[in-house]
Amino acid sequence: MYFGPNHPGIEGNYAIRVRLKGDEVLKAEADGGYLHRGFEKLMEERLWIQNVALVPRICVPDPVPMEETYARAVEMLGGLKVPERAQWIRVMVLEMSRIAAHLFMVGGHAATLGLYTNMFWGVALRELLLDRFEELTGGRIYHMYITPGGVRRDLPDGFLGRLAAVLDEIERRLPDYDDLFFDNAVVVRRTRGIGTLTQAEALAWGVTGPNLRATGLAFDLRHEDPYLVYDRLAFDIPTEREGDALARARVRRAEIRQSIRILRQVIGHLPGITGPVRCPLPNPLAWNLPAGDVYARTESSKGELGFYVVSNGGPKPWRVHVRGPSAMHAVQVLERLCVGARLEDVAQIMFSLDACPPEVDR
Amino acid sequence: MLAEMNGLDLTRQGAQRLRVAVAPEALPTLLNLLEGRAGYLHLSAISCVDWPDRDQFELVYHLWSYETRVLVSAHVFIHRTPGRFVSVYDIHIPAGFFERDIHEMFGVVFEGSPDSRPFILTEWTGPPPMLKAFATEDYVNDFFEWNDYHPQWLEDIEKKGGGLI
Repeated sequence: MYFGPNHPGIEGNYAIRVRLKGDEVLKAEADGGYLHRGFEKLMEERLWIQNVALVPRICVPDPVPMEETYARAVEMLGGLKVPERAQWIRVMVLEMSRIAAHLFMVGGHAATLGLYTNMFWGVALRELLLDRFEELTGGRIYHMYITPGGVRRDLPDGFLGRLAAVLDEIERRLPDYDDLFFDNAVVVRRTRGIGTLTQAEALAWGVTGPNLRATGLAFDLRHEDPYLVYDRLAFDIPTEREGDALARARVRRAEIRQSIRILRQVIGHLPGITGPVRCPLPNPLAWNLPAGDVYARTESSKGELGFYVVSNGGPKPWRVHVRGPSAMHAVQVLERLCVGARLEDVAQIMFSLDACPPEVDR
Repeated sequence: MLAEMNGLDLTRQGAQRLRVAVAPEALPTLLNLLEGRAGYLHLSAISCVDWPDRDQFELVYHLWSYETRVLVSAHVFIHRTPGRFVSVYDIHIPAGFFERDIHEMFGVVFEGSPDSRPFILTEWTGPPPMLKAFATEDYVNDFFEWNDYHPQWLEDIEKKGGGLI
């Protein structure tokens, strides 16, 4: 049976072919290719600076890591040094994006169980962050704010105060999510033991991010392979042990609080860091980057995001390979976890993995 | 540890980055050695680069060790024609996805890979599209007919003084 591509329980334009016996899944095969995009090929046809407008579109719920990772790869190739103020601002937008993505995802997970209130709440809270993105960048979803060498513009007056108020509001509302979702006996019964990964399986199958941390491994690229100014920020790496859908949701719940903690540190530090928000760039229309190749990695809300970028010394990338975390989570991992599950749990397994099809179909 | 292997060209690119150029036949041994001796359990990605001028494909295996916290990028060059290489699925399960993707987009055949069926391009009849020889714009011009979009409803609107801006 085709589960998707047009199904309210599927994430994005994607499908899973499931073979069933009764309502038990005997075999699952991921089926991508419904997005018709071809970002990697398009990027080879565009100037280094033009791709800034293209990369956030690879992942709708969490676009900022795409911008940051691409920009960092270009900076590594070109030997650009990002000013300190821009690095702090980048951390700020990355964590704003992480909270927005987690709110979106936990809401989506709840919706797969028929609990739509949580989804509406998540979308509504995310809106508060999107308002701040709009104020800062002009765009709500695709910001195109992080450019090679820094960020496009400095913060508007009073922005940090308004962001702090949004964080306070999100924090104030989190206990409501506990009442409705995380401590809800029905939700716990529906999610516990579903789509369970052991830590050994997670490591063998290339699982990263919150899905890996839900199996008990406290691993986070922001800690272990730090970039920007993350090594100067205090935050914990939340983990759970069970490795099931509930554990994955709980890790994301805890990460929202950690991102708020990071953002409050940024709000405290940023006014004291002055200077430019981007380094001087050559004429972007005639900008040849030195030949070479780099692999830049970011801890996105979904896991490890990598950009392998090759320059042949020309004005355009010779090759860009985007390694989204969902390349694993939405294909091999999803196929394995669905086997033995009940049909009604297929959608929540996919959402609990936070699988993002555009990261596969890129 | 890597000094034990012949034919490796090592370049350190920062505290947590190591670039390794390796002969194609030595790659599986290198991956086994890295996994068994230094905890390189995580195959982050396999990237393929088309170099038509050299008639070569470059395959890059990005590996991460949870123990040493170093990212190794192992570079292998293979002949572009016929574009065949060995699968490393038996060492790293994630290789199955990347090999399938590279097979589909570049036409490289990985012997021993578990699944080489089309994934993204199930209804595609053209050449592997990520090859440099594949020109997207030419393909579109050859494959599709351009039509001016001017439906009747638009004409009706234009008659009333409206229309597309």
